[in-house]
Amino acid sequence: MTNQRSRMPLLLAMALAHLLVTGARAEIAVFPSAIDLNGPESTVQVVVLRKGKDGRGADVTRAARFRIEGTAAPIARIDSTGLASPVSEGTATIVVGEGGEEARVPVRVSGVVKPVPVSFAGQVIPALSKAGCSSGGCHGKAEGQNGFKLSVFGFDPAADHRAIVAEGRGRRISHGDPRASLLLLKATAAVAHGGGRKIREDSWPYRLLVRWIAEGARTDSAEPFETARLVVDPPGLRVVPGEKRQLRVEAVMPDGSRRCVTSEAEFESNAPNIAGADSRGLMMAGSLPGEAAILARHMGAVAVCRVTLPGKESGFPRPPERNFIDTLTWNRLEELGIRPAGEADDAAFMRRAWLDTAGTLPSAREARAFLADKDPAKRARLADRILASPEYADYQAMLWADLLRVDRDALKAQGAVAMWRWLRSAFAANMPYDRFAREVVSARGSVAGDSPAGFLRVLDKPEVVARSVSQLFLGVRIECAQCHHHPSEKWGQDDYAALAGCFTGLGRKVMPDGSEALLSEAAKDINHPRTGKPVKARPPGGPPLEGDPLLRREEFAAWMTAPANPFFAKAAVNRVWARYFGRGLVDPVDDLRTTNPSANDELLEALARRFRESGHDLKALAKLVMMSRVYQSAPGAGGANFEGAAHRLLPAEVLLDAVCQATGVPEDFNGLPAGTRAIRLWDNRMPSYFLQVFGRPVRATVCSCERGDAPSISQALHLMNAPEINAKLRSAGGTAARLAKTGLSPDELADEIYLACLSRFPTEEERRAVAGLVGEGATARREGLEDALWAILNTREFICNH
Amino acid sequence: MEPGDIARPGMVAPSRRRMLRLGGTGLIPWLSLPGLMRMRAEASTGAEPKAKSCIFLYLQGGPSTIDMWDLKPEAPAEIRGPYKPIATSVPGTMVGEHCHRSARIADKFTILRSHSHNDNGHTTGSHYVWTGQRAAFADGANSRVPVNEVYPSIGSVISRELGGRGGVPPYVNMPHPLTAGGPGFYGAEHAPFVIESDPVQPDFEVKDLKPDGSLPESRRRRRLELLGKIQPAIPLAGLPATLGTYQEKARELVSSPAARQAFDLSREKDSTRDAYGRTSLGQCSLLARRLVEAGCRFVGVDHGSWDTHFTCFPSLEKDLMPHADMAFSALVSDLADRGMLSETLVVMMGEMGRTPRINKQAGRDHWSMTQSVLLAGGGIPPGRVVGATDKTCSYPTSDPVGISDLLRTIFHLMGVDADKVYLTPLGRPVSIVSGGRVVEKLLAG
Repeated sequence: MTNQRSRMPLLLAMALAHLLVTGARAEIAVFPSAIDLNGPESTVQVVVLRKGKDGRGADVTRAARFRIEGTAAPIARIDSTGLASPVSEGTATIVVGEGGEEARVPVRVSGVVKPVPVSFAGQVIPALSKAGCSSGGCHGKAEGQNGFKLSVFGFDPAADHRAIVAEGRGRRISHGDPRASLLLLKATAAVAHGGGRKIREDSWPYRLLVRWIAEGARTDSAEPFETARLVVDPPGLRVVPGEKRQLRVEAVMPDGSRRCVTSEAEFESNAPNIAGADSRGLMMAGSLPGEAAILARHMGAVAVCRVTLPGKESGFPRPPERNFIDTLTWNRLEELGIRPAGEADDAAFMRRAWLDTAGTLPSAREARAFLADKDPAKRARLADRILASPEYADYQAMLWADLLRVDRDALKAQGAVAMWRWLRSAFAANMPYDRFAREVVSARGSVAGDSPAGFLRVLDKPEVVARSVSQLFLGVRIECAQCHHHPSEKWGQDDYAALAGCFTGLGRKVMPDGSEALLSEAAKDINHPRTGKPVKARPPGGPPLEGDPLLRREEFAAWMTAPANPFFAKAAVNRVWARYFGRGLVDPVDDLRTTNPSANDELLEALARRFRESGHDLKALAKLVMMSRVYQSAPGAGGANFEGAAHRLLPAEVLLDAVCQATGVPEDFNGLPAGTRAIRLWDNRMPSYFLQVFGRPVRATVCSCERGDAPSISQALHLMNAPEINAKLRSAGGTAARLAKTGLSPDELADEIYLACLSRFPTEEERRAVAGLVGEGATARREGLEDALWAILNTREFICNH
Repeated sequence: MEPGDIARPGMVAPSRRRMLRLGGTGLIPWLSLPGLMRMRAEASTGAEPKAKSCIFLYLQGGPSTIDMWDLKPEAPAEIRGPYKPIATSVPGTMVGEHCHRSARIADKFTILRSHSHNDNGHTTGSHYVWTGQRAAFADGANSRVPVNEVYPSIGSVISRELGGRGGVPPYVNMPHPLTAGGPGFYGAEHAPFVIESDPVQPDFEVKDLKPDGSLPESRRRRRLELLGKIQPAIPLAGLPATLGTYQEKARELVSSPAARQAFDLSREKDSTRDAYGRTSLGQCSLLARRLVEAGCRFVGVDHGSWDTHFTCFPSLEKDLMPHADMAFSALVSDLADRGMLSETLVVMMGEMGRTPRINKQAGRDHWSMTQSVLLAGGGIPPGRVVGATDKTCSYPTSDPVGISDLLRTIFHLMGVDADKVYLTPLGRPVSIVSGGRVVEKLLAG
């Protein structure tokens, strides 16, 4: 009975399915429309999609049945994953059956009887790379693994050929019996192999290696064929949680012909918990909403499939749009199905804007006045006031002194002061950012003058200048390409040498007064690190620099800051964005590449365009950001898509200044005028346990990652117990002592210290708790205030910006 | 490797903060670290770790081990120097006359005479010893050349891999740690807990560990009570969660008598303190023992002034050698007496040895090609000499041991897989130790 009853709906469903199929013949689609297998180890990935009612194509490849028609003995085979491979030459038809429907795809096999000899660089190396043999954690390590070393990512085919064929006393290759080659015995784990089984005997890489050895294990007579462009199909995808989808990767040859390299390519996701991909290119969506970029790599070429996994929130009301930042962010959040946070109140906005823009806590007086202000335009006026404050220039100079490595130990005091002064005045005068960058890159003259010459002065080699400038101003981390082709970018060692050549004419001279000066000398081209041949100086992706060799840095700077430059403005706005939101639209902030896409491309583009059109006006950009409703979101809901404000630790200097301001007792810096604030220190070596423990950078790198952004137990202990901070709390000239002497009531005192520390009034509960501590009499009042201040300084609300 | 489980090269390494967020809730990040990728499936040995903790006595500047542990009495005067070898408790093993305390307990430790590497600089050599990575900067100028990748020290690696096992932080460094002992790109969470004062000072106190002494207990309590009232509960995720767990851990450290006592040297008998030597190295070594007792995993002790280029012998025989001899011998004996030696690895070394030939200023210069390293406990069979140097102590003649080998051996003893791969900020996969092999001769009894 039970069986019969349950069979009814099933039969009904089958009938319905049948109707659907017969009703519309185009319900399944097969890609590619024709299959061309050329060469014994070639493969073609077939993908079968079924169109659903919502118009989305669902991947049914692994549910489909395949058979070959047209010849007595099949000329090709196709496995259950849809991977077609050749058997013998000829033509036939592959019939794809799925859900009662059939589709037919022609297949042609060639190049099997007399195959083109295997290319070592073009086929063997990519196969070993895909199998993981030459990865940086294995034989690709600088010292190799158990005596066998391959170049990482196969960047050095000649060395790899030597390693495989000649080194190890030649025992890695058995010409007489290719299958007995140690290379294959190890790779298949037929003999003990620390890395386990990397290649199966029934796979195309195995057949490829066997054939290569049988053909004599030769290196290539000619240069390997030119690196093709890579195309991933689809380039973008919206998915549902748990969805799987087979990707297809094709190499487009210089002559326009295409070859399926899906099974040869390597795949990586930048956010596997949103969507990952296995080694066959099967995309697998997770459950976390957001966007992932799945990178496909083959022979130095890369391409990306961007996978969007929307959240469940849809149809939420769009918050107001104050400028295009809001429009583009709400668009993005709608796409992603992520609900934006509510709006921050005046107090949260004021504290946040001051700290992010000028590294300074607003005073209690400022906070009180702003909160009482009834002007609807008061937030805009506040932004203008902050940007016009001297603290803005101080703070920006400090942040850029980090990046430009204003290090007293490297520059000496004279040089560090000079560079800090130049930075300070550049930001005070709102120097256009393109001019700023040009002056840094083409600096010359004395390091002791007010100039940015110190930056280049401490970089000792053209290569170091090149990769620092590139990371700093272009967001292009080309450092990888010093030793090997960049694993996730188009940059190779030639690009690295070409960029280094832009900075060869950098001379240094000791002046009569003992200071050093930067000179421009005739620039020279740099040799390719591997081939030793000179590479023409050229910025990444730019034209060769062919002007006056004495002005090569100027020529580079002109290319860098030109409106057409694809990196410069984006890298700049991304940095500014990161200062306001805790992370860049592209994260890390100085690593812009297609394989590390931004959280919002349109927004990044639009910000860069606006920035260029404004004449690279940093203050205008800051104001634009501050005025957006996105920046004015309520705290606590931070996320990778900027749906709300994130918590960020205050930088060491900012926190120290905040402690000083809240306690009313400035820090005493050795040798500097009383009241000097930490954000104004030019001397990064100024002894200060506080700054050290809260992560002041030593300015050893141009990476903004150097500034410590993680909390530690020592920090917590210091805020709780440091005698220095306790002395500030107890100081006769401090906030507690001063307020105790006023006629303010306990409730008013609570208000006052909340405004001073957190720029807001306390809640009723907080007011009661603080007021309860403030007793009668001078001493009791002072002690109560000291203890209340101590507690507030130790809250996460105080230590963070939010 | 399955996709979806871990970070891979070429992709963006999760930021530290995000890593913390992934690291779960309610636990101190150092106890709940997200697993990074393991490219090699098998662990290095699979053997039970022998050492639970390591005390690393670092003789900064380069100890003259030719005058201490590897004397050359047959060599000409300008090489053998003024000191005579003396017999030890191990028949056949001789050490320098100024190391007589250690000589008496030579059956409790092993001398590795063939440590050798080729970085002859202080900052670069120290970086090499502490991180296992060659310095990407010139000696003495570690801030000149920008590098994106500053590597974590052995203590930070151990903090990250093993976490704490008690109320004290997993990695403590004292009294004045070198940059090389820092966390590198691991960030502040694996930075050493630094004791900013020297335990040899009479007023020694660990910075920030005790609340303001002049504050009455009632006020301390009400401060904490108020903080509890005005601060919301620790949220489940994000930076505030991490921050909150650190604040709690700090409060525990301050309020837990066990943790506070671990740092309190005054609880030691005067005779014990005297035995270690009333010197910086001696008192740091004693404090190190207390911290290990309380669960600390790695204690680094920096002891300076070993860079003896000029008129070296007076300072060697009056200060440096006796201080090291007392501290090391007292520490090893004390650990043995307390039954802790088998689980505590003690290593004493510097970044280099000194030149065999005495220079014109009656000193010895940098010589990284040979250095004797002392190892005790933690699974090192004692009472042996491993490796040898030539007639002039210029080069090893057997069993040369490089820095990677030594670090690999330490990690092996502590049960850390030195082949574990993590990503640098550039997204480069780097194993904890690159190259080298476990020094089997040190482990074989």
